Amino acid sequence: MNAANFLQYIASGTAYTLGVTLIALPLGLLIGLVLALVYVYGGKAGSRSMQAYSIVLRGIPPIVLLFILYFVVSGAINLSPFTAGALALGIVSSAYQMEIIRGAILSVDAGQMMAARAVGLSRLEAIRSVVLPQAFRHAIAPWSNEVAIVIKDSSLVYALGVPEVLRRAQLIGASNQNYLLAYGAAATIYFILVWLANKSLVGLEKRLAIPGSH
Amino acid sequence: MDEAILKIRQLRKHYGENLIFHDIDLDVAEGETIVIIGPSGTGKSTLLRCINLLTHADGGEIWLDGQRINAPGVDEDLVRQQIGMVFQNFLLFNHLTALENVKLGLTKVKKMKDAQATQKALSELQRVGLADRAHHYPGQLSGGQQQRVGIARALAMDPRIMLFDEPTSALDPELIGEVLGVMRQLAEEGMTMLCVTHEMGFAREVADKIVFMEKGSIVEQGSPEDLMYRPEHPRTREFLWKITELYGQQQEGAPADGFEAEPAWKPNEDEV
Amino acid sequence: MFRKFAVIISLVLAAAMLASCAQPTVPTAAPPVSAPAAVELPEKLSQAGKIVVGTSADYPPFEFLDAQGNKTGFDIELMTKLAERMGLKLEWADMPFDSLVAAVQQGKLDASISAFNYSEERDEQVDFSVPYYSSTDAFVVGKGFSGAITKPEDAAHYKIGVQSGTVQDGWLTSNLVETGLLPAENLSRYERAEQAFMDLATGRIVVVMADEVAVKAFMEQNPDLQIVFSAELSTGPMAIVVPEGDTVLKTAFDTLIKQLQSEGFVDELAEKYFK
Ligand SMILES: Nc1ncnc2c1ncn2[C@@H]1O[C@H](COP(=O)(O)OP(=O)(O)OP(=O)(O)O)[C@@H](O)[C@H]1O
Ligand SMILES: [Mg+2]
Repeated sequence: MNAANFLQYIASGTAYTLGVTLIALPLGLLIGLVLALVYVYGGKAGSRSMQAYSIVLRGIPPIVLLFILYFVVSGAINLSPFTAGALALGIVSSAYQMEIIRGAILSVDAGQMMAARAVGLSRLEAIRSVVLPQAFRHAIAPWSNEVAIVIKDSSLVYALGVPEVLRRAQLIGASNQNYLLAYGAAATIYFILVWLANKSLVGLEKRLAIPGSH
Repeated sequence: MDEAILKIRQLRKHYGENLIFHDIDLDVAEGETIVIIGPSGTGKSTLLRCINLLTHADGGEIWLDGQRINAPGVDEDLVRQQIGMVFQNFLLFNHLTALENVKLGLTKVKKMKDAQATQKALSELQRVGLADRAHHYPGQLSGGQQQRVGIARALAMDPRIMLFDEPTSALDPELIGEVLGVMRQLAEEGMTMLCVTHEMGFAREVADKIVFMEKGSIVEQGSPEDLMYRPEHPRTREFLWKITELYGQQQEGAPADGFEAEPAWKPNEDEV
Repeated sequence: MFRKFAVIISLVLAAAMLASCAQPTVPTAAPPVSAPAAVELPEKLSQAGKIVVGTSADYPPFEFLDAQGNKTGFDIELMTKLAERMGLKLEWADMPFDSLVAAVQQGKLDASISAFNYSEERDEQVDFSVPYYSSTDAFVVGKGFSGAITKPEDAAHYKIGVQSGTVQDGWLTSNLVETGLLPAENLSRYERAEQAFMDLATGRIVVVMADEVAVKAFMEQNPDLQIVFSAELSTGPMAIVVPEGDTVLKTAFDTLIKQLQSEGFVDELAEKYFK
């Protein structure tokens, strides 16, 4: 395999890497958002159970959840390695994103909620129109860390044989014994993906910055 | 002015063991402006928050327009729409422009069409003299301007009564006048207002009644003349003397807003 | 063999065994008729007309990608031949070595060929065919090695590297470290074999213990390496992994492996890939 083919073979794994990331991240965001709301506004029972969720999921290595989903759960529901991987990473990420969003919600001054209620907004509407728009702006910076983590963790689906970047690098490295080049190529691809993601999030943060506030 | 818009009977509130206020009776008639004064920690803010149900009283009754509002089964969001609230620290929605701040309640609560809401919001901003700042964010406005937007935001809901919780105490002295000016104008237009403030010039000029609250109960209430010049209770006199020292100085430096500097009260030496 | 059998997998498998309602195995069929041409196959396979076989194609010369990116190697060709004899279409599934046993156990794969050695732990979870090949362990040193290893215990005088979790790791741990011959800090465990060879090149370790066939493949690119001792120490012979209790499939593989061995096909493959 010549160098160009070789690199192309590894690079074509990017589709899987991106695919897993683009499922896991929004899934984690959606679950994380709902759970963060339960955490912050769900009273004692809500915050207790969300704390437990957070501790458990952040305590399990993502790969274990991946195996559980693929090998155990998918005895009942047949999941492809790709789906199982994306789901597992999304679920793990939901715990982290829950914490990020929770922190962001708490960083919004409690007076904002009070003022919204005073105008007559329902609690839900106040959360939606007043608290979350501000919280999301605070969440972008910590969120870009999570994006980087999920991009890199997406490589874990290699364990189920999904031919993403890392698995392809392993196969190519084993094939021509040039592990340095193979892993170097993989590292470069991850670096570029993370860099692009961070750059666009910094852009988003700037674009959404509220005029006149520090 | 026969039937009170707001009627409070035997209101009581505690936080845990801590009794904040008790036995509060208060009537606010249509078009009336009532000023509440009293030392810090007396429960004035808590009283206002109880009235628009941001927190819940533990006993007593609150009636708005003849309807009991602190009772189970009441639609609290509906009640809050009818009570405007202006906060000490403005509490504008930071991510929204002045116009959007005023519009939010119109579109989300009153379900107004966008164009109609914009029109209404602009006219409210006009009313507080800020039509030209409609597209500024709170961070781009001075404290006085922010507070006027806060007033416009409350007014936009066409409330039956406006509650003001020390609306000028977070402002630099030179910005106080513009906010008091708007409040006076509102009073003149016949808005019913319940104001916690220690701006005694405003109180004397605008209030129909001043209520002195201390340690969780109403000590004395009466017309500005009676309460300020002929207070019955020694504690009232003492308090008035203190706030003259505290606030009097500031007010003399305030820009011309139609309010005169206060006469200095002297505590009556005969009474303890 | 060379690959690690991660603790994680065992944990997951334990969980799997608890959680999944034990999959009933294919009912035992009648003993194979002595017709050499055809073998009896599990109904599931003959109905599907194909067999899904897992391998970890990062282990030359057993399984790896050729210059065109296609799977090739000793195991690959052997399995291709076996499937052909079974009259089944062969479908490969690439999966890291660590995941293969679990995948067979959970029915994600019909079988797996990936230079598997028999081990008791694995045998509790899956079944093994008869061995199709057996191999030897080698002690490898770099250029300028001046010592001597004439028996396996001599290796204990040097800093040794090994791929962690492999059968060689197991052998070194129980025969050199636990006996006190080799100080524990002198045994370096690597996630991947090539990392051990890299440290051998830098002199951080002096000896690497690994499977001889794989070592020889590696030496083609790294002529400085040198095998100073080899023997069948850790490894059992290699076999195909089939689902636990799937005697029909196991018998089919057994019959066909013996067939191919007696026909000389296995030796041909060994000649092609290992020499
Ligand atoms: N959410 C709360 N939980 C517990 N205690 C509270 C709470 N809010 C207020 N308090 C207590 O209630 C008392 C009255 O507070 P409140 O803010 O109503 O006083 P105030 O008269 O408005 O004082 P100030 O002039 O300082 O604004 C204070 O002692 C305060 O510590
Ligand atoms: Mg207060």
